Amino acid sequence: MLANPFCAVCSKEAILISMSHFKEISEAEQSGQAGLVAGQADIAGQADIVCTESLTKRYGDVTALSECCLSVGRGEVFGLLGPNGAGKTTLIRLMLGFLHPSSGRCLVDGFDPLIDGVALRKRVAYLPGDARLPRHMRGGGVLKFFAEMHPRGDLQRSLEIADRLELQTRRRVGFMSTGMRQKLALSVVLGLNTPLMILDEPTANLDPTIRATVLDLVQKVRDSGRTVMLSSHVMSEIEDTCDRVAFLRHGKLARELTMADLYPRHRITAQPPAGTVSIPAEYGQRVTVQETQQGRLRQIQIDIAGELAPLLPWIDSLKLQQIRIEPLGLRAVYDSVHSGGGGTPTNEPGTPVRSNE
Amino acid sequence: MIHRILVRKYIGQSSLLFYCCALALFSFAWIRVWVVSLLDMGQFKTILEQFREFEKFAPVDFDSLFTYPGRVGMIFDEPVVILCTVVWCVARGSDVVSGELGRGTLEMLLAQPIRRSTLLFSHATVSVSGLVLLCLMVWAGLGLGVYSTCVNETVQQPTLQIPFLNLDLPLTINDPVKQEVPLRDRVDVRTYAASTLHLFALGFFVLGLSTMFSAVDRYRWRTVGFVVAIYVLQLVMFGVGKAVSSLDWLLSLTFFSCYKPQKMTSLVTDDGLNAPWSLTQVIPDGVFPPLVYPLILVGLGILFYLVAFCSFNKRDLPAPL
Repeated sequence: MLANPFCAVCSKEAILISMSHFKEISEAEQSGQAGLVAGQADIAGQADIVCTESLTKRYGDVTALSECCLSVGRGEVFGLLGPNGAGKTTLIRLMLGFLHPSSGRCLVDGFDPLIDGVALRKRVAYLPGDARLPRHMRGGGVLKFFAEMHPRGDLQRSLEIADRLELQTRRRVGFMSTGMRQKLALSVVLGLNTPLMILDEPTANLDPTIRATVLDLVQKVRDSGRTVMLSSHVMSEIEDTCDRVAFLRHGKLARELTMADLYPRHRITAQPPAGTVSIPAEYGQRVTVQETQQGRLRQIQIDIAGELAPLLPWIDSLKLQQIRIEPLGLRAVYDSVHSGGGGTPTNEPGTPVRSNE
Repeated sequence: MIHRILVRKYIGQSSLLFYCCALALFSFAWIRVWVVSLLDMGQFKTILEQFREFEKFAPVDFDSLFTYPGRVGMIFDEPVVILCTVVWCVARGSDVVSGELGRGTLEMLLAQPIRRSTLLFSHATVSVSGLVLLCLMVWAGLGLGVYSTCVNETVQQPTLQIPFLNLDLPLTINDPVKQEVPLRDRVDVRTYAASTLHLFALGFFVLGLSTMFSAVDRYRWRTVGFVVAIYVLQLVMFGVGKAVSSLDWLLSLTFFSCYKPQKMTSLVTDDGLNAPWSLTQVIPDGVFPPLVYPLILVGLGILFYLVAFCSFNKRDLPAPL
């Protein structure tokens, strides 16, 4: 991730990059170099593949997406998280030009969906959340149709993916189960060799084995230097796959997080100590303490970001009872964002958190 | 503007409906001509004379039906022909946006690098081509019927005319001689080229109307409902305008007034094969030259398509339900 092309300083650079990229792609297509591999153009690594600035979508009084500023770097797997109605699909649909923004704008690989949607969609493979395909066609026919529709389509690759997903392509779509239709749609999308792949809940309706295969395929896409935007409600999938995640809540971008920041986080759950818990000033930035009550059971939760070992003496000094230490996963951050906390530490260093008196 | 792969998809999608409509239209036109041969012209005249008071509801005067070309030309006003044509147009027109939206397939389709106008153009290409072929099917069925059917005619008895008394005395008392005559000797199939154009124009108007509603709507059932409601309303206006002289102004507000296939047949019978193609000679009991009527329908159809293009390009596409 480098420049945000919307900012005054970077916009000229972004336009030049987009123009040179477009020229390069056009020349490659004209000279018959079909299947220009994503990320091979000079633009790769020079600008974010997705940039949104104050992107807003309103439906009457309802604001589906509000002032969303987001950047997705090239070659990363970017996760979009949020409860139903948070604005994930709206954001994706705005990026693809299906919706017209109420205000703000976005660029995908240097192209504005409202100005040159066709050029944009040549660079994007999109799997809708509820992918539905022509019911009168057979699975093989669907793969052939979409491989021919997209200039970066590859029927052979789609067939290979379908085979890997254990899909019977001779069956008509109308007679396929929900899971089979999802596999078919995945075969269509994963068969495209585009710089950006947007997958809206790709593993919905799939069994665990196929889920793992799909995630493996996503990893391979990332390994080939391409970018993946992934929306999912399954935290473990996001944790296993993504490099960075963004949390949306009530149409607003609530938080962005790199997975590298997430891994060295732990949660200590215990019975509350007799006295006041004070966070040492030197650990104040990475320690969060809060008290919870589940029925009659009162507990204290200490969330620790970063290396745990230096804090062990302080934890020992608290004289906690029934202590339990667990890695603090994405789920905890999600819950925190969902409950409106934004997942950020709320305690000032040295502040007494509670008194048991 | 037209995407080959999309066209192929739309052909596959609509082929079953097309084959059914084509078969129905072709066979109906053929059989309808054959039925003409079964009913003696004299008997037909007797039957029709009993309904003289309802002549105002008919698209043409009854006298023009006392000829074989007139009776064969009635095919273009038969409900089956109109129904099949309208079914094709409403089914295809309503499918393009609201149909795909309802099935949820539009999202995957528009995620491909195509313009929305390309999608509409490709769909329109298949729908209009299908309509042309269906109209030609009616003409072909009619032509086959004309070329494969014979009619029985009573041979005029030799008579002796008595001067001053103005009497014709038959020279024989035998039963009238009947002879079998090929219908093609009485009916020129080229007569119905203009009628076929009128059928196409009517279909194109309905196709454009359906496409326009489909482009702005989300549900196909609602699109079909709107189109059928307008169709029925216009039909009622046409009927009332014909029946009640004080409400004849309604005729100028309904598109059915531009659908005049039988009038074209009468024009050919009276003035020759070129008569329906005039852009300058106003038709009898009409307002415009004969070619203007189908051009009005086609023009309105094009206008509806333009509205569909504009609204489809500007609208937000809702997520599948």
